[in-house]
Amino acid sequence: MNLMIELIRSTFLAAVPILLASLGGTYTYYADIFNIAMEGMLLIGAFAAVLGSYFSGSWLIGLLAGVSGGILAAIIFTLFAVYLKTDEFVTGIALNLFALGATTYLLRQIFSVKGAFTSSDIIALPDWHIPIIDKIPIIGELLSGYPFLLYISFLIAILVEFHIFKTRFGLRLRATGEDDSTVDSVGINSDLIKSKAILLSGALSGLGGVFLSLAYVNMFAENMSNGRGWIALAVIILTRGRPIGLLFMALLFGFFDGLGFALQNTFIPSQFTQMVPYLATLAALYFYSKQKKEKIKEELEDESMAV
Amino acid sequence: MVEALIEIDSLVKIYPPSTIAVKDFDLKINTGEIHSVIGENGAGKSTLMKMIYGLTERSSGKIKINNRDVKFTSPQQAVKYGIGMVHQEFMLIPSYTVFENIILGVEPTSKLGIIEKKEAEKKIKDLIKQYNFNLKLKSKISEISVAAQQKVEILKLLYRDVDVLILDEPTAVLTPQEIEDLFLRLKKLRYEGRTIIFISHKLDEVLELSDVITVMRKGEKITTLENNNLGKAELAKAMVGRDVIFSIDKTKANLGDVIFSAVNLNYKDANGIQQLEDVSLQINSGEILGVAGVEGNGQYELVRAISGLLDLDYGEIKIKNKNIEDLDILKRRREMAYVTQDRKFMGSAQDLNLMENSIMTHHRLNDELSYYHPVLLSKSASIKFADNLINKFKVISESSKQPISSLSGGNQQRLIVGREFMLSDQFIMLDNPTRGLDVGSIEFIQEEIINKRDKGAAVLLVSADLDELFSLADRLLVMHSGKVVFNTDTARTNKEEIGQYMLGAEMSDSA
Repeated sequence: MNLMIELIRSTFLAAVPILLASLGGTYTYYADIFNIAMEGMLLIGAFAAVLGSYFSGSWLIGLLAGVSGGILAAIIFTLFAVYLKTDEFVTGIALNLFALGATTYLLRQIFSVKGAFTSSDIIALPDWHIPIIDKIPIIGELLSGYPFLLYISFLIAILVEFHIFKTRFGLRLRATGEDDSTVDSVGINSDLIKSKAILLSGALSGLGGVFLSLAYVNMFAENMSNGRGWIALAVIILTRGRPIGLLFMALLFGFFDGLGFALQNTFIPSQFTQMVPYLATLAALYFYSKQKKEKIKEELEDESMAV
Repeated sequence: MVEALIEIDSLVKIYPPSTIAVKDFDLKINTGEIHSVIGENGAGKSTLMKMIYGLTERSSGKIKINNRDVKFTSPQQAVKYGIGMVHQEFMLIPSYTVFENIILGVEPTSKLGIIEKKEAEKKIKDLIKQYNFNLKLKSKISEISVAAQQKVEILKLLYRDVDVLILDEPTAVLTPQEIEDLFLRLKKLRYEGRTIIFISHKLDEVLELSDVITVMRKGEKITTLENNNLGKAELAKAMVGRDVIFSIDKTKANLGDVIFSAVNLNYKDANGIQQLEDVSLQINSGEILGVAGVEGNGQYELVRAISGLLDLDYGEIKIKNKNIEDLDILKRRREMAYVTQDRKFMGSAQDLNLMENSIMTHHRLNDELSYYHPVLLSKSASIKFADNLINKFKVISESSKQPISSLSGGNQQRLIVGREFMLSDQFIMLDNPTRGLDVGSIEFIQEEIINKRDKGAAVLLVSADLDELFSLADRLLVMHSGKVVFNTDTARTNKEEIGQYMLGAEMSDSA
């Protein structure tokens, strides 16, 4: 029983960084920007959060620093991909490599450590114990006592859905992704819409980084994003950018992440257990494409029946 | 004297270094008139409109609207002054609904930026009713016809309360029935006090629709005429600068044996859509068979299937009793000439020079281009071949060494048509051979097609231009949804009837 609860709790926790990064990437997905820089944005966010929290002694400053870090990375991406019209893929790769190099370098310079930096001066995000529910056995253990950002990120998922499908910005964003010259022709600056989309993706990925280094664990480690930005990309493509779908996919990946951890204590070598989330990504892509093919086939058969 | 709504005073546009697109242009457009601006391709009509609409900056001159000097730097400013434009290429988001496309950019929202549909929907519904647009707000753009999309574009402007509508070649994408429909609507708009600027090069349409006609040639205004008792010939003369013969001299077809036949061609594309369904056709020596149809109804697939660019699911194609459906493209090219619809990408290699473009295909089939060995091409023979082609097909150029991209569209097409016509005398396939060309080149190419026919070639002519089909073809086929739905002698039909078949009218009757 305890093991089950542990697994579910770790599922929720592991899902958050992927969820936040993929929510960010959803904006760029709809703007038709091939944004692979979530990985770098997560990492910079995580590092900046530790930096802010450690030196200020406040988790709030840490949170703001992390988000700013993500936005900073987004500004670089915007400058190159939108205004200088460089290739989005190459820019994204460069940004990811830069993020890894810069955080590793700064880690060693500022904290004089290699690998990972831990300190009791890094103030973690506070947990939220939901009144009443907290006291209920099992349910309380399952639902209460997570870092407060976890609850907020689930709320953000719903807000993003609303933002993209019900608001003026959302309408313009999706139109920009489909045909930016049409958007320009009705007097909207499509470059500005794209920039906003990238900045939002930076802010949300940065927040994902904050969760990673101030909540999921309480430290910074070199390359601690560890492919989560890439998994976020896979999640976006799998769900075709539906934020509510993202929520479930992120939980699924969180589960496999947690499962990988749980299996570490068994006879399976840890190198294999660490593969679990990535194998799950490949498997998901496979089933997704197979399902899509069948759907197209069905639609065609329906059509030919109608004729 | 009524104050002009739009007054243009010695407007000039120079594209650096020295291309004068519009020269000392004066124009007055009055409220409540349909004012057509006509001219050949490249006469500067579009540049003129873009300057009015704020898409292109003027070099000098003045534009006044309601007696106020204006200098728009974006279309939105023009819209604020009540001027809107429907472009040739529609500016619509395919996956959005009619409603979403109309409000995009001027969305009514609450304070939080949430879109409020109610009022906008009512306004649009009222407009649809008022002008009898027959559109549904929830239809997706990608699922409605081109004519309906054009209605959405017009509706977009009406929703923004514009008084002046500029329409750039709006009839190019429409069938005859749809054109009539559009004209009725435009006349209603004028009747209600709106002003319409209609850009076209089709004289019949301009004469039918407009109150005033301004003729442009080479960036200059030739004349502005009231449209009463104007003749097509004088208008054409003003537009082209010389007499134009409208009726192409064509003797009766002198039919010989069957040269080309296709039986039960069937093709399903990668998405499973039946693009060709049991298409059969036959062309005799000395005959031009025209293929009409709204674009995207299988004509393109037909042409590509015959040329070997796509693999049929089944079907038989014969040229002179020889089956070619399993031959590769080069072997087929021994038997046929083929002018593609796409001049820039398939018809020519834009960066290569005239000589290189002239010998394409010939370089594999014509032994005279090599002296020693078929693999080695002779440069001098190639140049001789190209010069001969350039002379024969009156390609205006400086030398066979200039890249083909430096020629005008008309001259490029003359070279391409010439190259193909030198390839085969028996079967010639032409896919929109005169699209987008100047009147002079159209005339020349059409005459060459007739010449080929008179020499005994079988000609397959696919065209989106009904005028062209009616003046050239001896027989007409109409394609709809991948099927041949009508097959007739050109003399026994008219545009209206063809238009109905193009829209699939007969088919929906039986359904």
